[in-house]
Amino acid sequence: MKINPKLKDELKKILIDKLQKEQDLVVVYCADSLESDEKQVLEKKFPDLNWTNAVYKIDRSVIAGVVIKVGSKTIDLSLSGSLLKLSNTLYEID
Amino acid sequence: MENLGIDGKLLLAQVINFVLFFILVKKFVVKPFTAFLNQERKNEEEKNKLLEKLKKSEEASLEAEVKAKEKMKKEFDVLFVQAKKEAQSLRTDLVKQAETDAQEIRDKSKKLLEEEKNALYRDVKDKIVKTSLMIVDKALKESLDEASRKQVTGYIIKNYQGKLKVYEN
Repeated sequence: MKINPKLKDELKKILIDKLQKEQDLVVVYCADSLESDEKQVLEKKFPDLNWTNAVYKIDRSVIAGVVIKVGSKTIDLSLSGSLLKLSNTLYEID
Repeated sequence: MENLGIDGKLLLAQVINFVLFFILVKKFVVKPFTAFLNQERKNEEEKNKLLEKLKKSEEASLEAEVKAKEKMKKEFDVLFVQAKKEAQSLRTDLVKQAETDAQEIRDKSKKLLEEEKNALYRDVKDKIVKTSLMIVDKALKESLDEASRKQVTGYIIKNYQGKLKVYEN
């Protein structure tokens, strides 16, 4: 089956755009909803991220703090993350 | 002669008779008997010589036997000493081998024990860490109310200095 090259290019462009948007999309996981001033502080702390379409999700497993996910990157500022780091440190100690 | 009572004829006859008797005895009795005696003596001498030879031969054979026995004894002694040395060497080798084997077994056992100890230590440590973290996690979840959580979250965000590791998935 032959695909129209124009259609193929357009589809490719759409997919790339979608992927780019998904990659740039900032998802913030927190235990409770963040106040606007907290969000502003967060934006100031991470000026490189695209906060315009940021999504804030509630996740009780975080305990407290936030987990920021951008594409394949994760910035863990949560208590659960700290506990995980602590456990890793304990495992590393002989 | 007749007055003396000696008969001359009889005397002559007796002398003749004696001479004849002497000649006959000498010829037919003494000579063969002497020859027989000489022969017997010769035979006896030969027998003695033979006996002497046999005796000498026996002595020689006895001496040879004694020498052979002495030689055998010496050879036996040499062989015995050699065998003893070989046995000693074999014994030393066996003892060494046994000691090496025992050391290997000891080392293996020690290693195994060490591995088991480490495994047990890791297991216990893993359980302690998991249990501790579970307790802390549960305690934090149960003790922190919404206000406290928000306070903690605000504190973490405000005090973030940008030193955190960024994880790539």
